[in-house]
Amino acid sequence: MKKVISREKLCVNCHLCEVYCKTAHSESKDIIKAHKLENPAPVSRVTVIGGRMASVAVNCRHCDDPACVNACITGAMTKDKKTGIVSVNENKCIGCMTCLAVCPNGCIKTGNTAIKCDLCQGEDMPACVKNCPNRALVYVEVGGND
Amino acid sequence: MNYVIIGASAAGLATAEEIRRTDKNGAITILTREDYLPYSRPSISYFLKGKVNQADMFLRKNNYYSQNKIDIVTGADVKEIDVKKKTVKAGRKLYSYDKLCLATGSKPFVPPMKNVEGKANALTFLDLASTKAVKDMANKDTRAVVIGGGLIGMKAAEGLSKICKSVDVIELAPRILPSILDAKSEKGVRQHCANKGGLKFHLEDTVVEAKSKGKNITSVVLKSGKELKCDLLILAVGVRPETELAEKAGLEVNRGIITNPATMQTSNEDIYAAGDCTVSVDMLDGSKKIIALWPNAVKQGTVAGSQMAGGSEAIDGTYSVNAIDFYGLRICTCGLINAQGEQYSDKIVACGDQYKRLIFEGEKLVGYVLINSSDNAGIYTYLIANRIDLSTLEGDIMATPDLFLFSKEIRTEKLTGGVTV
Repeated sequence: MKKVISREKLCVNCHLCEVYCKTAHSESKDIIKAHKLENPAPVSRVTVIGGRMASVAVNCRHCDDPACVNACITGAMTKDKKTGIVSVNENKCIGCMTCLAVCPNGCIKTGNTAIKCDLCQGEDMPACVKNCPNRALVYVEVGGND
Repeated sequence: MNYVIIGASAAGLATAEEIRRTDKNGAITILTREDYLPYSRPSISYFLKGKVNQADMFLRKNNYYSQNKIDIVTGADVKEIDVKKKTVKAGRKLYSYDKLCLATGSKPFVPPMKNVEGKANALTFLDLASTKAVKDMANKDTRAVVIGGGLIGMKAAEGLSKICKSVDVIELAPRILPSILDAKSEKGVRQHCANKGGLKFHLEDTVVEAKSKGKNITSVVLKSGKELKCDLLILAVGVRPETELAEKAGLEVNRGIITNPATMQTSNEDIYAAGDCTVSVDMLDGSKKIIALWPNAVKQGTVAGSQMAGGSEAIDGTYSVNAIDFYGLRICTCGLINAQGEQYSDKIVACGDQYKRLIFEGEKLVGYVLINSSDNAGIYTYLIANRIDLSTLEGDIMATPDLFLFSKEIRTEKLTGGVTV
């Protein structure tokens, strides 16, 4: 499958990936409305960690054997057999956050349900990658699907 | 090969799925005494309060089982295992097995109380059937009394508080939720539940007797002498491993079913066990305990299934990890939260409704209690599960954990999986 690969040496700590992720996962798809008006506020699924000296964007690794899927107590978290994408069914999720408690990389966000990267399902390229100004984020085929 | 699995929740389903991954052709039969395909037991309190529909509680799509050639027999209450003939009996039907897995889970433990047994409005709260019975009985005029302030009792109380006129929770211990909260954090959670949900707590108390009219309880009398009006009594004192079948079959049982801790094989070489019915060995202190938690059940089921089908998956270390919420308060706990002994130390950061307590053994993290401060908790879980030496990490362990705790090399490996771009 294709995954987002994050290159620390190229990250400039601008957090634009977060801005565009939040917008891509908003109702309005508008940067200003997404950041100022929408309620509930949309959540960025990618997070830039570190600081000015060193930083890197972290998002879901869509693991081959995902701890979050194995631990999900409702069957809401699944890994798609064909695409390899790990995603949350919001109707089934009760927001217990067991997935968050077992994700070894810190890739699950809290909302009414668990929130996580879905690789912008349906898009050719995830919004974070498309809008990274220094190509610190790239979208590449890594194999290992399912 | 004939594989038979008794029980269709977390452990039973994980067993079947792992068998199918390893053995594409063997016949897999899951026997469940319930009337439903595998569903999420933890969702029952959300079903009670109307947050999830029944249709959204099922763990897999309906056609999943036929697609994967997993035969699920509902309403199949297994009464007997014949270990010589290698058959199990449910109703009049016999199922023969080459490999059998017991994933029988827990049964409610109901202490003796005068005039409670058999009463129409005294119900347990453990599965979908019992939840439907509770839901049918609860309405806006109901004065509900929940016996038991553990996970099940508190989830029942939370669900009922959205429906009922009043909810009283009676707990024998001096605190609620002892399996996931330490004494230091319990009080704040209890106050939150009292404020947000209107729950009334009666700690260090117990029901000694019920007063009734006909088939229905009308009030309960507590040890302290208090008497509470009661239209609905929920029996949620606790659960015990369901080991009756295993005992009758002559398997080694001590509170739970005893298995090889690595392979989940019982004292009978063709019978495996997984989930809440087993005794686990906690990797963090070596103690034997019942870890009745979902992730543990899935892990054990996966290993049992692999071993049954000739695979080599093994348990690589068992520990408790649990996440739950009460009225918006998020509680996340892992490891040895009630550790006693000179080798342990802890650090606490508390502010408003946020609480973070980490428990250490020397240079290792062995547990945490996080209340409304569980961001990236899985990184702590990783440190616990992998016995990481904290002196090799960078930064403040009490801050929100992230991958910058690790060296650049390890962080890059985690983020790229070794892919170089």
